[in-house]
Amino acid sequence: MELLITSVVLGLISFLIPRNSIKLFGLVGSLVSAAITIIHILNFEIGSSVSLFETTEMPFGLTFQIGYDGLGLLMIALTNFIIPIILLSNFRNTNTSENSSFHALVFFMQFGLLGVFTAADGILFYIFWEFTLIPAFLILYWFGNGVNKVLLKFFIYTLIGSLGMLLSFIALGLKANSFSYQDLLAVQLNATEACWIISGFLLAFAIKIPLFPFHTWQPDTYTSAPMSGTMLLSALMLKMALFGMIKWMIPLAPEGVADIKWLVITLGIIGVIYAAIICIKQQDIKRLFAYASISHLGLIAAGIMVFTKDALVGASVQIVNHSLIAIGLFLVADILESRLKTRELSHMQGTATLAPKFGFWFAIIAFASVSVPFTAGFIGEFTLLKELTEFHFAVGLLSATTLVFGAVYTLRAYQLSMFGAPKNDSFKDLHWNELLVFVLLTIAIVGIGLFPQFIADLVGPSLDMLIIIFNETTTH
Amino acid sequence: MEAIILLFITGIIALFLGIFNQAKLTTTISVIGLIGAAIVQHYPLNILSDEYNLLEFNQVGNAFVSLAILLTALIILSGDKAFNEEKDHIGDYNALLLFSLSGGIILIGFKDLFMFFLGLEILSIPLYVLAGSKKQSSTSSEAAVKYFFMGAFATCLLLFGVVLTYGATQSFELTEILSKTINSSGNAMLFIGMIFILASFLFKVGVAPFHFWVPDVYQGSPTVFMGYMSSVVKVVGIYAFIKFFHLAFGGLYDFWSTLIAILIGISMFVGNLTALVQTKFKRLMAYSSITNGAYALMAILYPDALIDSTLWVFMLGYGTSVVALLTISMILNDESDEISAFKGIGYRKPLIGLVAIAALLSTSGIPPMTGFFGKLMLFSSVWSHYPWLIVFALINSAIGVFIYLRLIMTIMSKESASEAKEITVSPLQTVVLVISLLLLVGGWLMLLCWK
Repeated sequence: MELLITSVVLGLISFLIPRNSIKLFGLVGSLVSAAITIIHILNFEIGSSVSLFETTEMPFGLTFQIGYDGLGLLMIALTNFIIPIILLSNFRNTNTSENSSFHALVFFMQFGLLGVFTAADGILFYIFWEFTLIPAFLILYWFGNGVNKVLLKFFIYTLIGSLGMLLSFIALGLKANSFSYQDLLAVQLNATEACWIISGFLLAFAIKIPLFPFHTWQPDTYTSAPMSGTMLLSALMLKMALFGMIKWMIPLAPEGVADIKWLVITLGIIGVIYAAIICIKQQDIKRLFAYASISHLGLIAAGIMVFTKDALVGASVQIVNHSLIAIGLFLVADILESRLKTRELSHMQGTATLAPKFGFWFAIIAFASVSVPFTAGFIGEFTLLKELTEFHFAVGLLSATTLVFGAVYTLRAYQLSMFGAPKNDSFKDLHWNELLVFVLLTIAIVGIGLFPQFIADLVGPSLDMLIIIFNETTTH
Repeated sequence: MEAIILLFITGIIALFLGIFNQAKLTTTISVIGLIGAAIVQHYPLNILSDEYNLLEFNQVGNAFVSLAILLTALIILSGDKAFNEEKDHIGDYNALLLFSLSGGIILIGFKDLFMFFLGLEILSIPLYVLAGSKKQSSTSSEAAVKYFFMGAFATCLLLFGVVLTYGATQSFELTEILSKTINSSGNAMLFIGMIFILASFLFKVGVAPFHFWVPDVYQGSPTVFMGYMSSVVKVVGIYAFIKFFHLAFGGLYDFWSTLIAILIGISMFVGNLTALVQTKFKRLMAYSSITNGAYALMAILYPDALIDSTLWVFMLGYGTSVVALLTISMILNDESDEISAFKGIGYRKPLIGLVAIAALLSTSGIPPMTGFFGKLMLFSSVWSHYPWLIVFALINSAIGVFIYLRLIMTIMSKESASEAKEITVSPLQTVVLVISLLLLVGGWLMLLCWK
């Protein structure tokens, strides 16, 4: 329970902290959450599931159950380790880092995310899922340079998706007479119901991920958001949808998976290729990384639909990896934008000559993003591609283009911004906090790249359980 | 019954206190009377013998009475500044609100058509006066006249319907009507009577196609009384509507439910789509009340509406957010009532901003606000009876989010309106804001004490 409460308390205290010490408070506070997570990881027995709090004494059949298994713990750890990194990389944006409401919102957001990853009740999951929208919206509204239209689009889009999910939960819950995860799992559905219910879930998750035709909110929102907002969205908030697909959508309505499997895989692959092609033509560096995110996530979504052990492990590794890369890339974009006052690639030429340290670390993040061996991306993407190829050769072939395209657009962005004769007079090299973020990210990326077994062991048993549920229902 | 007597006596005291022009004293007495009425309602003294007791309250009824009293108290407190500007009339205003509320309580507890009619009239007549209480303003007079004529017309329809129903069933008692209607299917007189009663109810609660008076009347009335009309009157009216149709016409469910469901569907769209293009705040709230009234009326479509907490939670969320938003509007006190005048007040006054966000998110149905739980319970209760209506309602929720989110963006904007006035929040208004904030965020927890 202290996992969740810590962030609420920190959020409330943030309002009282004076301007000059708020960023230190934020960092230390988020490290407290991270420390609590470490204790939880150390006490975690592989394969068990931990209940944090449980009561059925709630109105209207709602049960308040929170807990985690291996997969949940991975996501909790991801959230709690990423938030300090986001706050650290945000140290120099005085607009946000010296604002107490910003820190409060980040902590509330953390609370919502942890709730999503620990909820063991459908309605509770939905509540936390929607709750994260509120701080995200306010962060984007107050601290972004966005047009109101973009924000409205973001909010309405994701909300409409969530309403589909709510409908599915209501339909399932009325059948089960309860909303608790275990009861929802036990519901037997016929083919038509399963198809409707899984479509409701899919609407919510497809918009959040975002999958190909639902992605239009994402590039605009990312570009108009402040750096920390973009990081929160891409590194954490979108992961809610992938997590939701693995833990909620497929196990709750396995009967319907056959109906939408090809749809999601096709959309995922279209997204992979389509976004990559846009990236290749893109001049705006933040937009480029936004589309790159669509491309990466499309692959993960397609992989999840295969729903085999290896595919899910690959997806888990890739979820973590994408969060790390997203933070790195958006930090790079922000460093360039804040110092050059532009996001156009053509105005950035030769930055590496002026700021060699920056050039070096950007290169590492760029390589991680192209998934070269020894980085986490290599493990994640190759497992996913292997499973997709086994599922269907053409699917594997088409999705493997992500490797080629990924290399093309990332290295192109690197080349255009870093090499050549410098266009600008001076470029301040990395500050200590930025350097620290890059070092931490690199350690994590390479660490996971070398020892991916840690993640596989952590999530393995809970994935096995989900796969058993899935196979039981589908083979009947 | 004792609660009604207590409220009536408090009203008369408030009326006479008006002579002394003591605004604070009158408000205090009224609020004490309201609190007393709520207590007496839950712990009756049983002074009166049962044969005089023409009203009955079950647990849900009591909860609705408390809700109506709570909302009235909040409205009286929030109107503190507006009342102070017209010291001569403060006694009248308080008294009329209390009289109207006692009518509302009769409307919750009625057992027969006679008490029902009495309650409805006691609820409405003071409101005709209150709607026109801003005498210098022509819109206020227009509102009063319009409200009066529409109300009188609806009453005529109602009486006619009651007469026909009596003719068909020879009874005023709801339970007797029920037993007669179950057996006598196909009695034309009864059906016509029911249609008339239905029409008059739709008039009173402002559901399409009888909603057209709502925006004009709400906009013209002084903001305090608009708050009363759109919260307390809606709460009581919809409860009475449901009670009437479940208890008297329960046997004809198949006949009226489809009709009402279609009207609800139309109403939601009419309210929301018109609200999309409004530039005046009170008009926007009026259209939003049409939509929310339609949501609330959905409770009529499932049989347990009178014995479970669903409608109550929805009404708690809706009523509180209306009171909160109108209090903010009163604090701003902008004659033109343009939405653009709200720009930036939430950023300048964080309390107002917090309350506005909570209220608007609650009406949009975003967790963890009370409005979300109301909608969730309502929608999942009706789901098994009218699934298509729930899909409509969810589409409308999405449109609603668009409307309210724009409002949030205006209120929370970092820039202020071009000619921003200095805003002062009186202590009583602060109390109202804080109470509504608590209710909006944690009001649904009250369900824990629901037996």
